[in-house]
Amino acid sequence: MKPSAFEYFTASTVAEAIKLLERYEDEAKIIAGGQSLVPMMNFRVAQPEVLIDINGIKELDYIRQEDDEIVIGALTRERDLELSPLVQEKCPILAEAISLIGHASIRTRGTIGGSLVHADPAAEIPLTIYGLDAKMRVVGPSGERTLEPEEFFLSYLTTSLEPLEILVEVRIPVLPQKTGWSFVELTRRRGDFYIVAVASILFMEKGGVCKEARICLGGVGPTSIRAEEAEKILAGQVITDELIEKAGQKAAEAADPESDYHASAEYRRDMTRVFVKRGLAEARNRAKGG
Amino acid sequence: MNIEGKHKFLASQEQIWDLFMDQKNLEKAIPGCEKMEEREPGKYDVLLKIGIAAIKGTYTGKIEVVDPEPPNRYRLLGEGSGSPGFVKGEATIEFSQEGQHTIVSYQGDMQVGGLIAGIGQRMIGGIAKMMAGQFFKKMAKELKSQQ
Amino acid sequence: MAERRRITVKVNGVEYGREVDPKRLLVDFLRDDLELIGTHVGCEHGFCGACTVLLNGRSIRSCLMFAVQADGAEIMTVEGLAEDGKLHPLQEAFQEHHALQCGFCTPGMLIVTYELLRGNPDPTEEEVRLAVAGVLCRCTGYKQIIDAVIAAAPKMRGG
Repeated sequence: MKPSAFEYFTASTVAEAIKLLERYEDEAKIIAGGQSLVPMMNFRVAQPEVLIDINGIKELDYIRQEDDEIVIGALTRERDLELSPLVQEKCPILAEAISLIGHASIRTRGTIGGSLVHADPAAEIPLTIYGLDAKMRVVGPSGERTLEPEEFFLSYLTTSLEPLEILVEVRIPVLPQKTGWSFVELTRRRGDFYIVAVASILFMEKGGVCKEARICLGGVGPTSIRAEEAEKILAGQVITDELIEKAGQKAAEAADPESDYHASAEYRRDMTRVFVKRGLAEARNRAKGG
Repeated sequence: MNIEGKHKFLASQEQIWDLFMDQKNLEKAIPGCEKMEEREPGKYDVLLKIGIAAIKGTYTGKIEVVDPEPPNRYRLLGEGSGSPGFVKGEATIEFSQEGQHTIVSYQGDMQVGGLIAGIGQRMIGGIAKMMAGQFFKKMAKELKSQQ
Repeated sequence: MAERRRITVKVNGVEYGREVDPKRLLVDFLRDDLELIGTHVGCEHGFCGACTVLLNGRSIRSCLMFAVQADGAEIMTVEGLAEDGKLHPLQEAFQEHHALQCGFCTPGMLIVTYELLRGNPDPTEEEVRLAVAGVLCRCTGYKQIIDAVIAAAPKMRGG
């Protein structure tokens, strides 16, 4: 199939894009990388009457460090983030997660902003942003606001972005040295949407004690899920294999999976347990400097 | 695909039965329902405009209330089609009293086909559950406004 | 129908100016407007890779881009590999190693492996696998393609 007809506008500044949104409101859809939108348009499950192309807003394409935050413009391409020395050094979990998105050709066009706003429940970037507790900066006609992941992600393909708002920036806290991290996912083939994914971050103290753990589950709910009860098991403890086992089981209880063509709910739940265990073991290794 | 769930309402079983049998309430509560017309007793033609984010579709369909056993249970048959695909399903709706509350539980089977199923397969189950949730929330609102 | 737009694109070194409907996909523009039918339309949603071309030096799925978005861009399609009728070393290697049967995925394979070898002149087998994983081949089982790429690498290095 081919897309249905639409009016096409380009914006070269955020202000221009917002003006266009104000004019066309819910007839309009913003197109950035198009790697999620165009498939839907090709199949006519999305038929926006107006497309606002923001690929020309160069001011939204940047990666930089500001004090203890990595600040990324919404239009930054996934491929650039994956290969960025700054991201690899200061935010390696994001570089790792992005390297698992589809294939290089997809990542050439796909943007971090597009992935976040699309809010696919089995996407790598939303899950990692949840785990990092990054903030989303959003601009609309009445000004700007900053949203935490829990405020930003509402449900399947749904964020709290108002119709006239644009995501402009993501702010990610730089992880302290010696922080353990891992991003693991279950897919049938490399590049597929994951069946289950786990982002883990272990903030460490002296003596190999885990000060705080973050265990973030993907693919088992309408949005990413923080397995808080599992996290509590590790907080303040030296991470043993036994605790990892317990955390895995607890995390599986936090999952809220559906059955579908690719995997049953029971399988997803059990794979949550397995991948939390794998992820925590990998993160612990990294925390030790391994 | 199996769908099931249950919701609690603060009302008597008879009140909830009446609530669910009233076309006006259904028209307000069914997500995206723009029009609902009774062709014959218990048989309705519906026009739905539903979607998530950019995925919007218009569906025309039929809903039928079958084997009503007031005030305990009935079966619902439904089917709809539109440009993004088609939906067909049936469910058994059961009512039971629990103290001051009535529990409405539903269990059924749903088939989704066409382009929306191909590209949205991963999320259909969850989205169906979400829409069922929206339906019950709206029914609860109707109940409240009538009390 | 929406207003047509005038776009200018450079494809395989040749500049083209055309008027297009905004909804025209880049892959259809290349095939139907420019008659460069080497690039193939497969799944139309970014999974199969048969539509892969280089845009400003990087591989993209041309079924996921509108032609209007490519205004001012430099594009390389599979037709851009051979020079004056002489096959590119990659194409020769594909031929020698039977890296194609039906040929439907071949343009995509050539583009992604060309991109790989250009940035990584001596890839490991694992790196070749990663590059071709993004293009679906139902005929060869991938082995001959990987062999061809490994064989072509030294030839492209000038060895």
